[in-house]
Amino acid sequence: MALNLKRKREKAAAASNKKRHHSLTHLGSEDASPIDASHPSEEETPDDNSSAGEEGAEEIPVGDNAHESHGADHKSKKPPTGEELRVIKDAAELYRSGSFKLQIDALLPHVRPKESRKPPLDRFLHSLHAFLVSLPSLPAQNPIVAAQNLAKQGVAVPYALPLPTRESKWRVEFEKPSDVTIVGTWANQLSVKQKDGVQFGVDVAIEMPSTLFQEKDYLDGRFFHKRSFYLATIAAAISTSMSTDVFYDAAQGDPRLSVLVLRPRNDGSQNDFSKLHAEVRIIPTLPPSSPIPLHRLSPAHSNVRLSAEAGRQQAATPLYNSTILLSTFPKSELLFTHQLKESSPAFRDAHTLLRVWAHQRGYGGGSNICVRGFEGKGSWWSSLLGLLVTGEESSQANGKKASQRRPLGRGLSSYQLFRAALDFLGNPPAKHNFADNAVFVKATNGHRFPPEEYAAHHPAVFVDPTSTVNLLAGVPLSSLESLMHDARKTLEQLNGSSANEDVFAEVFLKDQCHLSTRFDAVIRVDLSRTSPSLSALAVMDHGSFDSALLSEVSAILRRGLGDRTQAITILHPSSAVRAISETQPGRLSRIHIGLNYNPEHAFRLVDHGPSAEEQQSEEATRFRELWGEKAELRRFKDGRILESVVWEVKTSDERAHIPATIVRHLLHRHFGIAADDIQTLQTPFDALLRLPDDVVQLHQNSGSLGGFKAAISAFDDVVKKLKALDDQLPLALLNISPVSEYLRYTSAYSPLPIPTSTALAVPESLRYLPAIEIILEFEKSSKWPDDLHAIQKIKLAFFESIATALMASSPGIKASVVVGDLRTSGVQDQAGLEIVTSQGWAFLARIWHDREATLLDRIINSNKNPLRPVLSDTSFGKERREANEARDLYTRRFIHAPRHHRAVANLCHHFSAYSGAVRLVKRWLASHWLLQGHVSEEAVEILCAKFFVGTSGIGASSTENAPTVPKSKERAFALVVEFLKDWKWEEPLFVPLYESSDGSSIPEVHALGSKQGVWTISTAEDKGGRMWTSSGPDAVAAQRVRSLARAAWNIMQKTDAEYYDVKGLFNPLDDYHILIELDPSVLPRYYHCFNANPRIWSRSGDASGRRDGSPFRIGFDPAKLFIEDLERTFAETLKFFYDPYGGDRIGAVWLPAVDKARPFRALGGFSSIPLPTEKSKDKALVTLNKQSILDEIERMGAGLVVKITTRQQ
Amino acid sequence: MSALPKSVSGFTVIPVAYARSTHILYARAHASPKSKSNSGANLNTGVNTGANTGASAKSKPLPDGRTLFLVNVPPDATEREIVLFFKHCGTVERVVFDLDDVDVGSDVDGNASGKSDGEEGGEDGEDGMDETADVDADADADQHQPNQQPPKKRRKPTQATTQPTPPKLVPLPSAPLRTLRKTGLSAHLVFLDAASLSRALAPAPKPRPWPASEEPRGLAHYAALHDARRPPLDAVKAHADSAVALFEFEVEAARRQGQGAHRRGEAVVDADGFTLVARGGAYGKALGGGVGIASRRFELTGKTTAGRGRKKEAKEKEAFYAFQKAEKQRKAIMDLKKGFEADKARIEKMREARRFKPY
Repeated sequence: MALNLKRKREKAAAASNKKRHHSLTHLGSEDASPIDASHPSEEETPDDNSSAGEEGAEEIPVGDNAHESHGADHKSKKPPTGEELRVIKDAAELYRSGSFKLQIDALLPHVRPKESRKPPLDRFLHSLHAFLVSLPSLPAQNPIVAAQNLAKQGVAVPYALPLPTRESKWRVEFEKPSDVTIVGTWANQLSVKQKDGVQFGVDVAIEMPSTLFQEKDYLDGRFFHKRSFYLATIAAAISTSMSTDVFYDAAQGDPRLSVLVLRPRNDGSQNDFSKLHAEVRIIPTLPPSSPIPLHRLSPAHSNVRLSAEAGRQQAATPLYNSTILLSTFPKSELLFTHQLKESSPAFRDAHTLLRVWAHQRGYGGGSNICVRGFEGKGSWWSSLLGLLVTGEESSQANGKKASQRRPLGRGLSSYQLFRAALDFLGNPPAKHNFADNAVFVKATNGHRFPPEEYAAHHPAVFVDPTSTVNLLAGVPLSSLESLMHDARKTLEQLNGSSANEDVFAEVFLKDQCHLSTRFDAVIRVDLSRTSPSLSALAVMDHGSFDSALLSEVSAILRRGLGDRTQAITILHPSSAVRAISETQPGRLSRIHIGLNYNPEHAFRLVDHGPSAEEQQSEEATRFRELWGEKAELRRFKDGRILESVVWEVKTSDERAHIPATIVRHLLHRHFGIAADDIQTLQTPFDALLRLPDDVVQLHQNSGSLGGFKAAISAFDDVVKKLKALDDQLPLALLNISPVSEYLRYTSAYSPLPIPTSTALAVPESLRYLPAIEIILEFEKSSKWPDDLHAIQKIKLAFFESIATALMASSPGIKASVVVGDLRTSGVQDQAGLEIVTSQGWAFLARIWHDREATLLDRIINSNKNPLRPVLSDTSFGKERREANEARDLYTRRFIHAPRHHRAVANLCHHFSAYSGAVRLVKRWLASHWLLQGHVSEEAVEILCAKFFVGTSGIGASSTENAPTVPKSKERAFALVVEFLKDWKWEEPLFVPLYESSDGSSIPEVHALGSKQGVWTISTAEDKGGRMWTSSGPDAVAAQRVRSLARAAWNIMQKTDAEYYDVKGLFNPLDDYHILIELDPSVLPRYYHCFNANPRIWSRSGDASGRRDGSPFRIGFDPAKLFIEDLERTFAETLKFFYDPYGGDRIGAVWLPAVDKARPFRALGGFSSIPLPTEKSKDKALVTLNKQSILDEIERMGAGLVVKITTRQQ
Repeated sequence: MSALPKSVSGFTVIPVAYARSTHILYARAHASPKSKSNSGANLNTGVNTGANTGASAKSKPLPDGRTLFLVNVPPDATEREIVLFFKHCGTVERVVFDLDDVDVGSDVDGNASGKSDGEEGGEDGEDGMDETADVDADADADQHQPNQQPPKKRRKPTQATTQPTPPKLVPLPSAPLRTLRKTGLSAHLVFLDAASLSRALAPAPKPRPWPASEEPRGLAHYAALHDARRPPLDAVKAHADSAVALFEFEVEAARRQGQGAHRRGEAVVDADGFTLVARGGAYGKALGGGVGIASRRFELTGKTTAGRGRKKEAKEKEAFYAFQKAEKQRKAIMDLKKGFEADKARIEKMREARRFKPY
């Protein structure tokens, strides 16, 4: 043993030099933990580094060492150096995981400007600086005259409201800037790439000389007019004498924030920096020495005088004031951010991560669709991190708060800092809320303005570290709430995700701006035809009509929706640059309003207001003012008399529309937006899951009431009746479990009974009455025979006695025994009991006998038995094959189906949107002819559950309130489509469908695609993940699902023009080789068909006397039987596609394997025809006899098939 | 169509006129292979008959000389239609559809499947013609296959025993229904005489239309099938009762005879004097009783115990010597590094796939 020890030590020693060896053993002997924090620092000496270099050189001689048996793979066996160890440890501990850190490192270079491209920009900036400081002065002139002069050069002056007049006493003039500085993110190297190809912004602050200004310039926008003229003069000068393109840009469409944008012409000159993807933005600033008194600009001051109201005490103009203050801000912000960056090493990376995260969610300019209020708020994000690092300035407003926000350390890693920012944003409202708590970043000189003034005049307050401006001025509270919502969502993903899910991609790489997957309801509002009356002061304060309107919309919606939503998000396209000849930024023509529901309250029918006693109070007036004629006094059951608003709904579909209805009502009432201009997609989606109105009418005439609830109560009724039979049955009935989608809210159409009495009056194409499957479980008994065939016969006898007893005890019920498909083997469970209730519900009961499994297993495993008597292998092979089939059926039907049913029904109760989502996805797959034939309905149910149960299953962490859970079926549908479009089905999918005791145990699943099915969807109860996907979709069908999902996704992304046609998503394609058209008038299920023609049943309804010969058959679906026969018969020739919901066409494609000439074989398995012979051949070739196959199909479907058309390939 | 060859690989090509096309039947005289070995893998052994399974079969169910081997029978063909189609050649004694729902790869002989087809047909109400035609062949074969799969047992006593008469199985009411088979399958036709066979193999001058028998097709077929699967309750009762009675009778008979070696009775001793045992009971049992075998595990693995409970105790203590501890810690560090390297490689791969461009 001692020798052994010695050799091992030598091995370790041989690999490295003595110092390393020493440190290693030292490490080992001292502490049980393999990594000790103290060591890396100890070893982080230059000496160690150099020794690491020596090791590399030593490697070859070490390989020759006779003791070293490992030889070649020696390098990877080397223990890590101290430095390496530190890196590895840091990655694992300071970041979410080691690979997360690596992913961050890989991401960062992609979102930053390339250093190598910078020199041309620097040259350009130098020349720009030289140009700007050499500009000649212009004499003072009347603003209108000045504008006219510039207009002659084709340059407009972007004067803001209130516009200057010819009578103005003041003058505009120009002098060269007193200072030109590069400011903002570019100067601090904090630039982060924006979305949709928006360029990096290089902010150049030009300081307007203080001589241009007078003391009173803060009044009535005079400062802005002077600023605009200054900008326009520079624009005119640059456009004439520099080789760049010049544009105006105004963040959020506010002309007061106009800047000049210089874009390089791609001319390959020395100064051409177009490869850098950057643009220079010229921002005029106010020098600290200007005569404008800053104390006049505190939030409470009113600085716009409207002529009509002159003399009266006016309301404050906080936004106007803060916009002027912004002009003094750039340089001080630059200094502060620089300091922060220097003091906190991870600040730059954290800032980049935060901005990438925000950009992916539309917070910030540059995307086609962005959240209202965040455009041009770049400095807010860095100040946010600044707040976390340096802490909060105490204020009287929240001085009574005992616990101030503590500053976080400066040594945090970038991920930790990013996490902290999300925590700050996403904290539950109780702890932190922008609406209630003003935030003041720790400032060096204390408060500049009284904190109370901010709180009184701004909805949300976040004052920057120089205590100059409220960075959240003009950001609506609703937008902040949606930011908090997104932060919570990301936190949830970061906290709860398992290892196999790619969180990094979800958080940083995936575009989260898609409306359909992000919001439970998307409301598209067309603003082009509206001109609501807004107070002039509000427009002046906001700087533009749109800003004033949107802020008002946001406030009204927030009040009106209240706790129904978790977030209201107003989105619009970000502002675009405009030519310098255009005075005003373009108006917004369209906004999108996204709602994230709060499932507890979203669908509440009544909104309560103040009680009747407070009739005259201000609150009551406000309530009535908000709701208009909808508000009324009501007496409630508990005796209270309240102002209230009642939303009347007729169907459950409409109940889901309540939030959208409220938005519609409020927008119409307060802004006069016509109902046509407010669109949602809910109604067309609802229509997909509803039967045509006249069909419902026809059924209602016959007195039958459909729906899931009715089906379930009918089931309960049958259960009661069966249990009541107790003593008349041979064995006691233990359990009756439902296994049908009709009893778990997930069938695409809600079930509809057809009473037998009226059944014959129903037209042929409306007659489909599905038999709802249930499973009977009897008490155990030893009297069952020990033979599979006999068991099936006993079941028949059982059914017969149940049927007789049931019909005797309850007269309305009809029961008959279904003997099943006798072409299948006799060992398989096939018989059932069909029960039809008096209201017209049909059930199909089966008997579960657990002994079958044992007997089948015995047959299946018998080959492993070396002692088994030799059976003739002929019959033996067949027997085993049949037993395998029967065992599969048994497991699926009796073990998994009831369990699956319970889990899905449970989900439906937990998540209100789940059932609708499943139904939509089923309808979608069916209308593309993929459901049932290729994708099983259970697989769809599990797939949809993925988006509700998250990664840990219900009951654990995810409740319906979680932000990741969709609360409307439209959103869930969009999520499923999005998933299907990208799903690589080689990777297994795990869905925690079942409530498990510990959610962390995700089984190791290996995707085992087979020829029949390529999807692997595993659950806790089905580890293999093949239970519902073993027979499809195969690679062809799965590929088709994917491409259909892509097409649908592309349609759903169109947000610009009219809303897309929902039905267009569901229109089947007919790109099949063969199309078999069926006669719709003989299909009992035709009324389920997408795009069904109502004339078919109205006609056959008229002629119902004509078909009096055909009796009413329960669950009779000849199209399905026909398809099953075709699939069996032509399994190796054709692949069929059809819509199980009453489709009147069947598509088929030739399998490529049979589609060419081949030598004749007796058992080729397809219908062939010899090819015309050439001379001298030994092998006769045959080919597929396509036309004769079509004739056979037509013959097999006599009476069903109308026409078969083929398409040339 | 005129360019059709007269024969392909020794098969005569018989064109059949469809509504808009020509279907092709391939025909050849049936010849049972002489070898006794069951060479099922061969393609043409669809032709293998029961003659070589039941090696001592006296009457060949598919007699050489007057049996026609047909390939590519229409999937919806009924026996009647085939008979009608070949009526011009002579009288057809019977038709045996091969490989009915049997996959091609498995070892199969024509007779067995033909027979089971006949049986199933009797139950599900396919027209009884081939059943009746099949009876004598059946009877012969059954006598030699006492250990065949269960469905045979039900019928077997009807011919095989002189014991008390078994209860008669009351079939479910049947309607004439078509059986749809897989496309491109084969069938055997037994003519009454050899001359008919040669007539049938003579090159056909022109395509003749496919006849239609009276069984319904298409919609009518499905309607009839739907109805046939829901027989009246009394018929179900009669059928189930008789089937159960028959089963009980068989069990009883097998026990009495001692031949039902699978179930009860004396131990079965084979020709070499070995007692056959199988799983069953608490400890396994000999076929028919007697010697027990240990357990299912023994049956499958040949081991008597699973070594359950006691784990082998580690011979060496894990962290006893200092070097062990050092090794362990070294290993932990190495694992850490390895994991890190693996992560790195993975990210590198993703980077190459340009996964890190957010937009």
